Amino acid sequence: MSSPIRRRRDGSYAVRLDANARTVLADLAGQLPEAIDARDPMVRRLFPPAYTATEQAGQEREYRELVDTALANHHSRSLGVLVATAQSDTLSEAEFHAWLDAIGSLRLVLGTRLDVHEDMEAPAPDDPRAPEYGLFQFLGELQYLMVEVLAGDLPDEGRAEGPL
Amino acid sequence: MRLPTRRRPSAPPDRGTRGTRADPVSVVPPETVPVGDLGTLLDEDTATDKPWLVIVWNDPINLMSYVTYVLQKLFGYSKDKATSLMLDVHHKGRAVVSSGTRERAELDVYRLHEHGLWATMEQAS
Repeated sequence: MSSPIRRRRDGSYAVRLDANARTVLADLAGQLPEAIDARDPMVRRLFPPAYTATEQAGQEREYRELVDTALANHHSRSLGVLVATAQSDTLSEAEFHAWLDAIGSLRLVLGTRLDVHEDMEAPAPDDPRAPEYGLFQFLGELQYLMVEVLAGDLPDEGRAEGPL
Repeated sequence: MRLPTRRRPSAPPDRGTRGTRADPVSVVPPETVPVGDLGTLLDEDTATDKPWLVIVWNDPINLMSYVTYVLQKLFGYSKDKATSLMLDVHHKGRAVVSSGTRERAELDVYRLHEHGLWATMEQAS
């Protein structure tokens, strides 16, 4: 079966999802606060520290003051686009990227709460975490398909050497 | 979705166990740091400083293909280069994905955070 996600010749993206999947996406995005707040423990994972070393606390504070609002707005905007366009079969390039960002944020929030780790086995069906884990997996499958399409449009050869 | 969050024990960088992670020196051979590019652009105060390294840490949530895609998109690396950096992140726990001035590193960290990657910066030792 062909992928439900594909890029059209005019640069828009066709997204073939059933009504249930679209409702789930809109619901999940709608459950995060409309205005993401860096101080909200639920979305803490969206605001990693910028400095590896704790000794750089002063610089870290400066960085947070500089970017946290912008970073929060960036994620809020993307989640808003996902809610607003969850029923669309066709997404503009900007909307498609907003979906990718919003779905990524939702995975980070859900995955953090589920304490997802590598080699984790899916919870048993009667485990109270099972429904949320199912949503997490669904978001992952969708993100995988979206990345496949986007990565296919990038050139394999780079324009930069890289640090190594 | 309003349930209390728990800190993931594997969330990098874990300050308590940092010493057990890959040694940054072994990850970036010193000759690859673009020192020549720095001197002309910076005031002498900054130019005498060591470059800042931008590190992406392994995290159990982001998909491998997504990490590769983000490294290609943000830094213009080839698919092979981005894949090898992603595999370093996956297997060694971290990888240096860019280096430069503090300002440049902060911008790169910000762009990686916009994309949900766990990235931090540190000065080359």
